[in-house]
Amino acid sequence: MNSLVKFGRTSHLPAMEPMEIDPEKALQRKQATYSSLDDNFEIQKETYRGQQYSQIYFARLHLMRTLLYSLVPNRKPHLPVCTILQLEEGKECIIVGTLFKHMKLKPCVLDEYSKERSATPLVRPHNFMHTDDNLVLEDDSGRVKLAGSVLLPSAYVTGIVVALHGKETDAGDFLVQDVLEAGLPPQIELPLKSSEDKYVVFVSGLSVGSSTSNPLHFQLLVDHITGHLGDEKEQGIAAKIVHFVVAGDSIEIPRGLLNGQNLASKDQSRLSEPIKELDILLTQIAASLPLDIMPGPNDPANFSLPQQPLHRCLFPGSSAYNTFRSCTNPHCFELDNIRFLGTSGQNVNDLEKYSEAKDKIEFMERTLRWRHLAPTAPNTLGCYPFTDRDPFFIESCPHVYFVGNQNEYKTDLIKGSEGQFVRLICIPQFCTTGIAVVLNLRNLECHTLSFGTEFISS
Amino acid sequence: MAARSENMKGFYRQRKKSGVTKKPLQPSSSSNKSPKHSPTFGSDVTHAPALLSHGSPDLKDEYDESEEVLRQFDLNMAYGPCLGMTRQARWERARRLGLNPPYEIERLLKAGKVEPQCLWDGRV
Repeated sequence: MNSLVKFGRTSHLPAMEPMEIDPEKALQRKQATYSSLDDNFEIQKETYRGQQYSQIYFARLHLMRTLLYSLVPNRKPHLPVCTILQLEEGKECIIVGTLFKHMKLKPCVLDEYSKERSATPLVRPHNFMHTDDNLVLEDDSGRVKLAGSVLLPSAYVTGIVVALHGKETDAGDFLVQDVLEAGLPPQIELPLKSSEDKYVVFVSGLSVGSSTSNPLHFQLLVDHITGHLGDEKEQGIAAKIVHFVVAGDSIEIPRGLLNGQNLASKDQSRLSEPIKELDILLTQIAASLPLDIMPGPNDPANFSLPQQPLHRCLFPGSSAYNTFRSCTNPHCFELDNIRFLGTSGQNVNDLEKYSEAKDKIEFMERTLRWRHLAPTAPNTLGCYPFTDRDPFFIESCPHVYFVGNQNEYKTDLIKGSEGQFVRLICIPQFCTTGIAVVLNLRNLECHTLSFGTEFISS
Repeated sequence: MAARSENMKGFYRQRKKSGVTKKPLQPSSSSNKSPKHSPTFGSDVTHAPALLSHGSPDLKDEYDESEEVLRQFDLNMAYGPCLGMTRQARWERARRLGLNPPYEIERLLKAGKVEPQCLWDGRV
């Protein structure tokens, strides 16, 4: 049951008149039906039996190959499909496999042991691309080097499953003539357009406890969405907010304290201060509207994807409310039958290290067209070694796809070949930008809420 | 001790009739196998006489036809990698992914008495 918030009519007289809540004028908060679809990302039922990552790659290849085999006859009906070992020189055909990108600059654990130590540092922080990068296609029968200018290594990464149309050259490479990606997955049609505005607020990178975060900004945001700020018109808008999503990196633990020595009790309380501060703020939100919190790369959750929900004991105040939900990363849910899918940014940030695109929105679009949330997992992105499934495979196209902890706010609406449409949202880091993103469920349009505390001197 | 075989074949390594070559490593996980299974190259002087059945050393260890069938299942690439999973789990995964693994495999696994882990288990 969502709690109702009644907004009082404020008195304009300077005298201390008690505030009366006029039941006729009280604003009710709008509600939306919520269902969580995070079962795929839970790993409590998994047991580790010493398996290696080859199992998840097999599951991914099999899933996507079955899918691509069903799509190929529609797109290239006259070409034979064969495995890599069945390739014959000069014969035009279609092969399906997992891409592997040889990257010269990708840090390798063996570099530590190399005899020649140059002056350049072993690891470059940003992007590991090089003009000499080349792609290889691999399936369970063999692998073949890819040639040609159709498939640009700069746009692809290891771990994507694609179908390639081409032929084997006399050099033993596979000359690619065309690429067949899976494309956007099928989408459940949106329900009839409702006439009322309902808003969902996204925020990410709160970094409570860090030196860059300003607690006043977050408090302003909380006050605004709970209706404690502004006049009736403002409160009316705030009453239409039905859901609040925190997309990762909510706290910053003072890691300097963790140096291997026993913690003094003074340091122990310092360590838990950020999470206590966050809990106080989240309690204010949870008392007012439903809230989802996802773990991020710097939060106290497990490192590898899918990250498991932050434990309830970290939030003694807010977890008392049934409006408080601790969720996995990636997170998938439905609000009023509109499907949301999002991450705290690790999938797209990792793609940025190993490939290039115009902007983060383009990376997001690529993951949807490849039908895989995190293709670089487990190669360069930590991942649980699943044996029989790949939970990052996107089966059903979301209506809203969001990614947290980005440098700037960006949004776009993309369309698929079968009438799918997706609202893509890059949620900026709140601690540096002070921006939260608001989505209108009626028309899937986005705008921002910006909070600042600078005094403008006249 | 002199070899019991009367012909020169006893001095040379012989090919097994079934065509499967002997494994160079001693399986460390099996503790109940007696030393008579240790392979040698060339001379079979150390072989106990009972091993030399039909004039050729029986180097097949102690696995029978059902284990042979299961090993072929392990090595079949269509069902994915076998390491790190029990055979039963791998069979179920294959069935769930629609690969139609033969029911005979499951019957053998359910019957008991066979190795639940794949052939590489404990060796790599």
